Amino acid sequence: MTDVIMLAAAGLSLGAMYALVALGFSVIYRASRVFNFAHGELLGIGAFSMTSLLAAGLPWPAALAVAMTLAGLIAAGVERAVVRPMIGRPVFVTIILTLFVALLLRALMIVIWGVQPRAIESPFGEAELAVSGDAAISYQTLAQIGVAVLAMAAFFALLKYSRLGIGMRATSTDQEVAQALGIPVGRVLGATWFLAGMLAGLAGVFAAMKHAMFGHESTLIIAFRAFPAVIVGGLTSPVGTVIAGFLLGLLEIFAPVYLGPHLGGFGHNLQNVFPYVIMILFLMVRPYGLLGQRDVERL
Amino acid sequence: MPTRKLVTRYEDDLRLFPDLWHKVGLGLGLAIVLLFPFWVSASWLTVGNHALVAIVGAVGLMVLTGFAGQISLGHAAFLAIGAFTTAVLGERWQVPFWLCLPAGGAVATAVGVAAGLFALRLRGLYLAIVTLGLLYLVAHTLESYPSLSGTGGAKSVGMYVTFGQSPAEMRDVYEKMAYGPVILDWDQKLYFIFLVVAVLVAWAARNLTRSNAGRTMMAVRDQDLAAAALGVNPVRAKLLAFATSSFIAGVAGGMFALQQRTVTVEYFNLQISVEYVAMIVLGGIGTVWGAVAGAVAFVILGKLMQTLAPSLPYIGQLPTGLQTAVLFSILVIVVLVIEPLGLFGLWLRVKRYFLAWPFRY
Repeated sequence: MTDVIMLAAAGLSLGAMYALVALGFSVIYRASRVFNFAHGELLGIGAFSMTSLLAAGLPWPAALAVAMTLAGLIAAGVERAVVRPMIGRPVFVTIILTLFVALLLRALMIVIWGVQPRAIESPFGEAELAVSGDAAISYQTLAQIGVAVLAMAAFFALLKYSRLGIGMRATSTDQEVAQALGIPVGRVLGATWFLAGMLAGLAGVFAAMKHAMFGHESTLIIAFRAFPAVIVGGLTSPVGTVIAGFLLGLLEIFAPVYLGPHLGGFGHNLQNVFPYVIMILFLMVRPYGLLGQRDVERL
Repeated sequence: MPTRKLVTRYEDDLRLFPDLWHKVGLGLGLAIVLLFPFWVSASWLTVGNHALVAIVGAVGLMVLTGFAGQISLGHAAFLAIGAFTTAVLGERWQVPFWLCLPAGGAVATAVGVAAGLFALRLRGLYLAIVTLGLLYLVAHTLESYPSLSGTGGAKSVGMYVTFGQSPAEMRDVYEKMAYGPVILDWDQKLYFIFLVVAVLVAWAARNLTRSNAGRTMMAVRDQDLAAAALGVNPVRAKLLAFATSSFIAGVAGGMFALQQRTVTVEYFNLQISVEYVAMIVLGGIGTVWGAVAGAVAFVILGKLMQTLAPSLPYIGQLPTGLQTAVLFSILVIVVLVIEPLGLFGLWLRVKRYFLAWPFRY
């Protein structure tokens, strides 16, 4: 029981990161029909700017807000400079473009922050909450899950009730009609990328805090493992991707412990590929994802 | 506007080298390609060999992405399969290299068809993610079994010429040897072997575009439902594209392994897949010519940038590994924004200019 509680807490906090990343992906995809392969770099920008801001003496919440805003601004900049001129181009052109933007952003990060691994100190220190028996969950983990859920709830509320959210939904349904109805599509796209970038920045800070020290790889790994969540949840459904993100986080923590030892050599480091295995199994059953729409094609 | 000679017969339309200019180009190209290894320095010869490997790999991806329209980020997985098949066959059974290359292709084909079966229901971005997953799965599987990937993550590759050679005899292949009047060292030998493979692959792919099988792929790429309505079997076309593409990629992986003599699993990562996609996009998507031009341009530019980058402002101050990456990213982004058809598009512009000369259009 002790194991299960602790593993579940770890799984949920990992799932929270996946959910944040996957939500950003799917929102960007719905808005611009672009799969943003530079998303992992946004995580890195969030995490690394956080270290600089904390070093500059900003209090934790303020530093987090600024780091998220920075990641959001970069995302919006990418949209304006690179993605928007590509409207109407074939899909692989946009894929390649975002992949190379990712390379550029990575270079930029290395120039600014160097290659040395860095650390973000938890504001809660090592304090833990005893649950039952020996099981204890650190406040840090609880706070991560809480903040992630809050951020996503805020995002969904914005999507549902605000003027901007309605504009975003209209734009993702049909850009031309939205434009004809007077919705400033360009600004809505920029805002969408900005919000997705903010979520990515938040996920990046969490991903960085997963280990005592983090380098450029650790945030990227989180982003690449979050891709399957987008597919499992359904590319067109933000709610589905959030659910799938948490699900994959839990499975990824539980599988190496309970399944890995039975798989021999393949089970070693199972967590590296497990999300993708789940994704492929899922695609066999429901290729459109948990809550995604079945594609209807017209000639 | 004079475009080309009026085609009156189907046979004429199918010709590979329809007019004088094509034949002149062919002759010139052949001369350059055959003399290249005797002209250049050793480091540029290595670049030439890299380019030949890249040509084969890029043509393989072009079949899948350019002809059949299936986006793949898992190309490196097939390269890896080819490379490690070649390595394992050589190490275990001293299989000669000319058998290793197609064997690597065959193993890659098996995996490619299996992946294709999943991919049949997917398109566009879904497919990109699934092939990315394939890449991780293949890398993980190879790493999980050290008997395949070698201890310590690296595997040495032998190049046996005939059956029954001992590993010690095999070493002779790396020495300078005389073939009649021509004396070839190791890199030059490799160059000519690779040249034959690259020409065969490019020729086969070019023929594919002129055949029924290739045309069904393009029909599926352009509009699969319409193609199905016209009696094309999209499942068959896609599977054939996956099989062909992964076979060629497997061969390219084997060539890479032979050239490098040591292969590691880490090398075959997303970066390599992206580079191949960049090659075919740079060259011009949908044509064999584009794949060849893109691969050659990519490799040569890479070498040029390596030598140039340190002297450029700002970029020269970056760490060496990043310099080429940054230059390349900028180049690819600029080319894509300006000329979506890549080098092929540029070539078309130049050609049209001279065809219409002295008029502007």
